Amino acid sequence: MPRILIVEDDDRIRTALRLMFEGEGFVVDDAPTGEVGVALFNRMAADIAIVDIMLPAMTGFETCQALRASSDLPIVIVSARDETADVVLGLESGADDYVTKPFVPEELLARVRAHLRRRPDKSAKAFALGRLHVIPDEGVVRQHDGTELHLTSTEFRLLTDLASANGKILSREDLLERVWGYDYFGDSRLVDVHIRRLRTKIEPDPSNPLYLVTVRGAGYKLVL
Amino acid sequence: MHRRSLRLRLLVTFGLGAFLLSSLFAALTYVGVKHVLVNDQQQSDLRQSFVNAALVRSTLYTSPPELANLLNSIQKATASDVLIQTHNQWLSKSSGAATQDVSQEIILAADAGHATEQTLYVNQHSIFVVGVPIPAVETQFFEVFQLGKLERTLTILLQVLGAGAILTSLVGIAGGLWVTRRTVRPLERVSAAAALIAGGELTTRLVTRNTDREVQQLTESFNAMVSQLVERLERDARFASDVSHELRSPLTTLATTATVLSQHRDELSPVAQQSLDLLVADLSVFQSLVEDLLEITRSDAGAAPVLIETVPAIELVRQSVRSGAQHHGLVAPPIEVAPDVGEPLVSVDRRRFERAMTNLIDNAHHYAGGAVAVRISVEGNRLVIDVDDAGPGVPTDERERVFQRFFRGRAAHDRGIARGTGLGLALVHDHVLTFGGTINVDEGPEGGARFEISLPLIEGGDE
Repeated sequence: MPRILIVEDDDRIRTALRLMFEGEGFVVDDAPTGEVGVALFNRMAADIAIVDIMLPAMTGFETCQALRASSDLPIVIVSARDETADVVLGLESGADDYVTKPFVPEELLARVRAHLRRRPDKSAKAFALGRLHVIPDEGVVRQHDGTELHLTSTEFRLLTDLASANGKILSREDLLERVWGYDYFGDSRLVDVHIRRLRTKIEPDPSNPLYLVTVRGAGYKLVL
Repeated sequence: MHRRSLRLRLLVTFGLGAFLLSSLFAALTYVGVKHVLVNDQQQSDLRQSFVNAALVRSTLYTSPPELANLLNSIQKATASDVLIQTHNQWLSKSSGAATQDVSQEIILAADAGHATEQTLYVNQHSIFVVGVPIPAVETQFFEVFQLGKLERTLTILLQVLGAGAILTSLVGIAGGLWVTRRTVRPLERVSAAAALIAGGELTTRLVTRNTDREVQQLTESFNAMVSQLVERLERDARFASDVSHELRSPLTTLATTATVLSQHRDELSPVAQQSLDLLVADLSVFQSLVEDLLEITRSDAGAAPVLIETVPAIELVRQSVRSGAQHHGLVAPPIEVAPDVGEPLVSVDRRRFERAMTNLIDNAHHYAGGAVAVRISVEGNRLVIDVDDAGPGVPTDERERVFQRFFRGRAAHDRGIARGTGLGLALVHDHVLTFGGTINVDEGPEGGARFEISLPLIEGGDE
């Protein structure tokens, strides 16, 4: 049974979410604050987390960072605001996805399932990216000195999917479908922020990318 | 309607006023001065004539032969022509022309023993004729004075006064211009600012520097009024936005709880199941309404920044249609791209565009049984996106109003239950306008409605 961590300060929403996910066969850990959520997660690691942005003391962003520091679990943030700044900040704090209130519960469920369905693509061949070695079957990226470069599962997936396209351009839509497993929802900001985050990790100069290049008006491609 | 221009009126008033006043002043001066000068001249001429007549008389008494010399010296002294009739004999030292200048009237009067004077206008010159009878020696003395010198003086005076009048008029017009600048310019600025504000430039204010007190007051009142209005507008927009915002949390609970209930639908009695279905159906309407309200009020309040990016149009439409259709669990309508379209680029806010397409497809679903096709073509330098359905179409008289907020056409009423939010098309309209596009509704090729979005193309599409 998948285990889900729900961090939400609104009692009623939290309870409703708990009931819904339990009804769908999840084991639910719920927490009213970020601190409690992180403590719960450290005691019993969940498979996925839903984190509200507007939390009392420790914000949703900080909670994401704290969870991300110890795990690659998918994090979906829930925001009552969908201003781009919030979305970008949330994704940059380590979240993989976001939904805005009032969300359609079925959509949230579908997204959570899509995240859980995703498994690292172990079949992809290893490849070199400048001084980095990407080894999909181990799920790691090694730097030239042999140390591991840490990528989240979404970032890793993004990188390997772009690599398996063999230099072809992938549109944001393609990437949403391949990386997030979404048929329809999600918006292009999700892709853009993740690309940016990935660049800061793999590019020597993230503002002038050598490998992960934007093709204006079309999408992204990986230059090997 | 033709309106008189205040600027023109002020100018004409000032110019004409100055002209009339200065002309009147000049005319009065001229007439007065002329009167005084001519009078003085005539008085002195008259006195001179009497003195001369006395001289003639004494000469005729004492030594008549000296008369010629006397006349000579008189003419030399007074620059006049002298005529003497003695014992019905004419005696003159002057040119013959002077004889004609003395009218019969004066001669008769002098003959009758009356001293007379007369001002005549001969050969474009004024002359002053004096007739003095000298009955003691049966002689009449006539003297003709030329007023030419006086006339020259008066002509110069007239010219000076005329020039003065013209100058004054010009000064009047200049004054008018200045007054116009001081009074009409602020009015024009106010009206320009008001027009800008009406056009949506709410940050427009009047500049308060360097103005008269009255204009300063107008400017300050105007600015205060605009600030008040803007504040009011913002407060209203924020209020609507806040209300929608406050609905988010309870709505999230409601929707999630309804989902939980649906999970346990089988355990419910038939009545409870039916109630649940009603609840779920209207919750989704409620949810759409709140989403639309949030979207539209955020745009109104300027809270949602517009992120315009240049994107390939066909991919954009394809993705938007797909996500729009599936967002509501519908089948995406086919997308037909005209053969000559190429790879056009458009500048839009992606999220807003997707929202607009979603709403159009949703609208077709609610009122026309779903969109039949989305057709993309290029007309000149604009991209045209048609969303066609095979429904009843939009009546001609509703085609403008269908984009108004909460407008419900006959189609909505005919269906008994209006499932739309009443904001969908208004939102489409607002969003499309944000990208510099237009939207209108027409009759589609399938006989239903055709919603036509037209967006400006961005150069460099086929690079």
